[in-house]
Amino acid sequence: MAPAVLPLLLLIVATAVLIGLLVFRPGLTASKGGKILAFFVLFLLPLICLGMGTDYHIGRSESTAFCLSCHEMQPFGRSLTVDDPGHLAAAHFQYHRVPADEACYTCHTNYAMFGTLRAKLHGLRHVYVHYLGTPPAPEAIRLYDPFNNRECLHCHLGARSFEEGAVHNADPDTLPAVKSNKLSCLSSGCHETVHNVGSLDKEKFWKGAP
Amino acid sequence: MNFSANPLERRLQFSGILLILGLLVEALCLFWTQPIAFVLFLALGGLLLGLGILLFLFTLISTRSSHP
Repeated sequence: MAPAVLPLLLLIVATAVLIGLLVFRPGLTASKGGKILAFFVLFLLPLICLGMGTDYHIGRSESTAFCLSCHEMQPFGRSLTVDDPGHLAAAHFQYHRVPADEACYTCHTNYAMFGTLRAKLHGLRHVYVHYLGTPPAPEAIRLYDPFNNRECLHCHLGARSFEEGAVHNADPDTLPAVKSNKLSCLSSGCHETVHNVGSLDKEKFWKGAP
Repeated sequence: MNFSANPLERRLQFSGILLILGLLVEALCLFWTQPIAFVLFLALGGLLLGLGILLFLFTLISTRSSHP
């Protein structure tokens, strides 16, 4: 969740005003108190502003609205409202199996060491391609790596619906294969319908919560 | 605004101006919802703030070295 913007904005304004005071009255730094003020105002407060700002932007970059703010992603956002529980992403979004305001990030970050960092680096690459490269058509967008079951198991592992699911247990080899990522959750015949942005014009859409 | 005749105070003024510009970029980026805002915040805002802080630290060092 992105932290509140108002405290950060107030801190930035207060810091800028104090810096302005020192810029217009540099003679203040001649006294001991002025030197201490300069240390706080020209060193500590800007660092705090930078840290809080970075935290704010990183928090905001995890929001669904942030991901969907680029037009390339808008069909993927639309796919979240397909009125069909067989659509994996739509069902997760509409039934709040993932936080609706962090839907993209919840499934598309790697739940591994440096997963968040990798997601941010990919995001920087997306910004580069968006502004300086040639963005692919939405239906041509692919994941960097095949979707790892680890991201699903982060929530589903140990859940009764997953562990005791009839299809999951029809073959005794299925669950171990899923858990070891040898059999993808998104395999053909399993949960294969995810975003399917190429066929959205044939779908009905949920209008959303009132 | 007049720049001080004292070189140390003048450096502090330059440092302050860089920091104010960096904070201005940071504040503007808070209201911009596009992903480019994050990049500008880090690249431009971070650069200006970093330069301002480094100039301030350099001023401190040069003050100490000029008064052994």
